[in-house]
Amino acid sequence: MSDLQCITIVLDDKLVTLNAAVGLLRRRNLPVRSVTFGPHVTEGRSRLFAMIEADAGAAQRVALLFEKLIGVDEARVVPAHDTVVRELALVRIRAQAGSYGELLDVLGLYHANVIEEGVDGLVAELTGPDTFVLSCLRAIEPFGIVDVARSGAVAIERPAQGSPVPTLTEVSVP
Amino acid sequence: MTEILTGAQLICRVLLEEGVDVMFGYPGGAIMPFYHALPEYPGLRHVLVRHEQAAAHAADGYARASGRVGVCVATSGPGATNLVTGLATAFMDNSPVVAITGQVPRPMLGRDAFQETDIVGVTLPITKWSVLVEDISTLADTMRRAFALAREGRPGPVLVDVPKDVQNQRIEYTPRAVAVARPAMPVVDAAALVEATRLIAAAERPLILAGHGIILGNASEDLRIFAEHTGIPVITTLLGISAFPEDHPLHLGMPGMHGEVHVNRAIQHADLLVAVGMRFDDRVTGNTAGFARRAKIVHIELDRTEIGKNVQVEVPLVGDAGPILSALTRALAPRSCTAWWDEINGSRRPPSEHFRGDVAPDSILRALHDASGGRCSIVSDVGQHQMWVAKLFPYRRLNTHFSSGGLGAMGFAVPAAIGVHLARPDEPVWAISGDGGFQMNMQEMATMVQEGLPIKLAIFNNGYLGMVRQWQQFFHGRRYSATPIWSPDYVKLAEAYGIAGYRVEQGGQIAGAVEAALRDPGPALIEFVIEQEANVYPMIPPGASLSEFIESAPEPASA
Repeated sequence: MSDLQCITIVLDDKLVTLNAAVGLLRRRNLPVRSVTFGPHVTEGRSRLFAMIEADAGAAQRVALLFEKLIGVDEARVVPAHDTVVRELALVRIRAQAGSYGELLDVLGLYHANVIEEGVDGLVAELTGPDTFVLSCLRAIEPFGIVDVARSGAVAIERPAQGSPVPTLTEVSVP
Repeated sequence: MTEILTGAQLICRVLLEEGVDVMFGYPGGAIMPFYHALPEYPGLRHVLVRHEQAAAHAADGYARASGRVGVCVATSGPGATNLVTGLATAFMDNSPVVAITGQVPRPMLGRDAFQETDIVGVTLPITKWSVLVEDISTLADTMRRAFALAREGRPGPVLVDVPKDVQNQRIEYTPRAVAVARPAMPVVDAAALVEATRLIAAAERPLILAGHGIILGNASEDLRIFAEHTGIPVITTLLGISAFPEDHPLHLGMPGMHGEVHVNRAIQHADLLVAVGMRFDDRVTGNTAGFARRAKIVHIELDRTEIGKNVQVEVPLVGDAGPILSALTRALAPRSCTAWWDEINGSRRPPSEHFRGDVAPDSILRALHDASGGRCSIVSDVGQHQMWVAKLFPYRRLNTHFSSGGLGAMGFAVPAAIGVHLARPDEPVWAISGDGGFQMNMQEMATMVQEGLPIKLAIFNNGYLGMVRQWQQFFHGRRYSATPIWSPDYVKLAEAYGIAGYRVEQGGQIAGAVEAALRDPGPALIEFVIEQEANVYPMIPPGASLSEFIESAPEPASA
């Protein structure tokens, strides 16, 4: 059964390693929904994040193949439903005097921030799951979108569900 | 003790450190500093090939026959790209090869300089590691790591790309004091071993599928003991041929697309497959949906990414084949498979090959065998003759059959035989090719002459690219598009290269030509003029299951 799987790969920050990793992913012939690449919390390391449509076994094999690459430290598969996925979109919108207030209302509805304003428009910053981002883009489209820069998805595993994090009052203080 | 060396000298020193004594290569502008240094190191024999593809295949052949790392050298640009087919072959068949390529000087990189190619980018998917040496200070350790990676775990090719200015730079070199220990093999899951033991003990119709991993892992003795202890029939894949003696009563044959009917039938009727060091290639399984549907599979494999890749596996045993087979032998009570053997033997049928004419592949291969009492190495090319060579020569000695299995690279045999010969100079090496594959790398006869390599060349000449023609005959209405192939006069060609050449057109000439070729102290060539439209039987049509075999050509459609 194909499902959406998230693969997180920690690799060195050399472009040749990224090249090899992306090549490996391409060659598996699996539908790839998203690939993002950014710095890892460890210096000299990067994180490649891929969302692929595959069953758990195939995704696990892809992760093991990543781990065979020289320069890859770790590759892990997490089913999409166990992760929190977000993407960032920067949207440049033509602002017209008559509809400016209405535009700000729509942006507010999507918790988007206006981060730049100029004589011919504004730039809004928007964060959320990809469906949320797409929904917002549709809502502001009538105002005149000039350009959109989307980061692609980044994700992190959800904290364990079911056993709540102890609150301060529950922690016994000696 | 440290010395000041150039990068080129340092490469030579590391090659010696790693135990290299022969390499295959071709000089050119960007690798000239290396070739300038080479004569200072007489311990490094260099074999000048006539095309870089041959250097990579020869290094691969050397590695397969010796169990050591094969080394090939080329210049930047076309030199490096010509290595690609050989590296891909080594990658698919897990042969430890280190390729050293020259690269344009660092200040020229990225400027589309003369003979600049991003060979690291080109070879990333067909090597275990491909690296550009950007700093002389990393050169020695990069070279050492290349050798370690090529040979460790599941072996394969590694490419080290060295810019010309790095080869010319000077640096302090400290010989490596101690050899780096080989990384430990994965620890086998004890519970899986118990489960595998239980399945093997309970199986009524078990089979062993032995692949190249048996040879690469030096596990043939463990396999023999395991098979004899359990009585389980042993099937050897194309690259598993000569991992298990074919005159052994437990040897069954080759499976898959051109496997014998009773071998494939056994797979389809088996209740357990013990697969060792093989990867369920599509040429073995046919359509996986219909493959061994009654069988559970125990998969003994070093590379965990192979588990479950093509077929569902009941019990994976990830690790070194030899110790795992030994552990299974220890855990199992001796058993036999008498009823199962009776069933298999009952399904044996006469070979479905029916050659016309007396210069037939079976007669030729029998003659090759008889002339040396089987004491020879056989390197095959790709195509129809490859299947005949796989099936009709009785391989009794370990690791004596070499072929491009995974990539199926025509042109492999002649250059690979150069490497096999240098690994085994004391016994005959036969490079057997079709007329198509021979013409892909026949220039290497010059290498054999210049280097004094007495390799014996056999050409199965049917005037066609035979395997493609066979597919055209079976599946494309006999439209022989681009498969008739003209050949030069091979005897005269041999003469032009200064080597002995024989043409065999009648059965009575086979033995005499083979013996004369073997007696000749130098390279020798025999052209066997075989039946033009001989076919390889049986055949599983592409996409069909192992149960659906063809044993004769379809009738031509009436006009």
